[in-house]
Amino acid sequence: MLRPRLRPHRLSLLALLAACAGTTPTPRDAEEEKVAPANPETPVLDIAGMEKGADQATLVPSPIETQRALEASGIETQLATLIPDHGFVMDKGDPDRAAIRTGVVLADLLLTTKTAKKEELVERLQQIAKGMEQLQGGADIQSTITDLVNRVQTDAVTRDELLKEFDELSGVMIPELEFNGQKRVVPLISAGSWLEGAHLVATALRNAEKKDAAEKLLKAPTVVDYFLKYVTTEGAAKAPEAVTMKLEESLKTLKALAEKPAPLTDVDLATVVQVTNDVLVLL
Amino acid sequence: MLLPIAFLAVNSALADETKAEACLRTKVWEGYADGWGVRSMVTTEIEDGRTRAYLVTLYEGNEYQMKACADERLVNADLLLYDTKGNVIARDSTVSREPELSFKPPATGTYYVVLYAREMTEAGGKGEVAVAVTYR
Repeated sequence: MLRPRLRPHRLSLLALLAACAGTTPTPRDAEEEKVAPANPETPVLDIAGMEKGADQATLVPSPIETQRALEASGIETQLATLIPDHGFVMDKGDPDRAAIRTGVVLADLLLTTKTAKKEELVERLQQIAKGMEQLQGGADIQSTITDLVNRVQTDAVTRDELLKEFDELSGVMIPELEFNGQKRVVPLISAGSWLEGAHLVATALRNAEKKDAAEKLLKAPTVVDYFLKYVTTEGAAKAPEAVTMKLEESLKTLKALAEKPAPLTDVDLATVVQVTNDVLVLL
Repeated sequence: MLLPIAFLAVNSALADETKAEACLRTKVWEGYADGWGVRSMVTTEIEDGRTRAYLVTLYEGNEYQMKACADERLVNADLLLYDTKGNVIARDSTVSREPELSFKPPATGTYYVVLYAREMTEAGGKGEVAVAVTYR
């Protein structure tokens, strides 16, 4: 189990988005507070208020959730089998790259938890540890990863248990980064995981016969929009790194495809593979 | 003596947050035995009669459960699922501080999970609630 001294205020995989989510009541909420001494069965909400004030910490699907949706679409391909050898050098480069890279490895770790060799799991955990070190994620997360590595190496934990613990690890990374003043990079970790998932799904769909599954799996404009807004607003508060600029460019293409009224074609799937890969190769 | 009072208040709030999170974590981790996974868990403070909305993208083909655990200051916490047009499409109907709702989306899309502090032990009070989105 993870150490209790971690601060799991938010457990959200890639969710990273949490960083941008506010807890400030909307004006509508304030009105409700004034006029609702006896609370109605169904709260009166207006959609504009929800759009404005909604927390986005729960917005982005996890890689395993995406794998299950792929299988539910009748495509048996295991995304884990499509993961390329990224060849990341985890302790090099700027924090933006480190964050996106860490998110990619985290997605790979989750997708391969049940099938990877022990040595591969250990290597990915150590890569995440290096990434988090570069992001100044704090000592607690390092201790947790060290503990996980030890237990994997000594077979002291089952793969089913590991899946839970990796889900929890991905979640506690967020509050740890926030606690250590690194909130800005949180959405970039999420973006890395989501980008890797989109890359693998598009690759699987290209090889599959059921192309219509692309409608269910790749048309998520709200998710793309979330990352795009981050990159062009909060993330733009500092001089953009090359990888962040490429990320913005790729997200714009993905947004156009996600909003395309017509079904996605083979060419569209090839485009998704290409633009996601354009970011991944810069890491 | 303001400082010790403030300290006690902060400690009390943290204890309530911990209780809510511990309750939810138990529920969520138990679900793994039945094939459930967790997308995210968040904790929030909420006032009597207020709502908190969470944006979610849900995949067609997957099954979802939203779960929450509130601390003892809440008598009845509700979870509702809204579509992006503002229609309630699923809700829990229990009088409980541990609401749950299940949903199988007819299409991949964006929804709002709304937490509603419908009744508290003290009118106008506030409490801590942990919320999770799980899937299988």
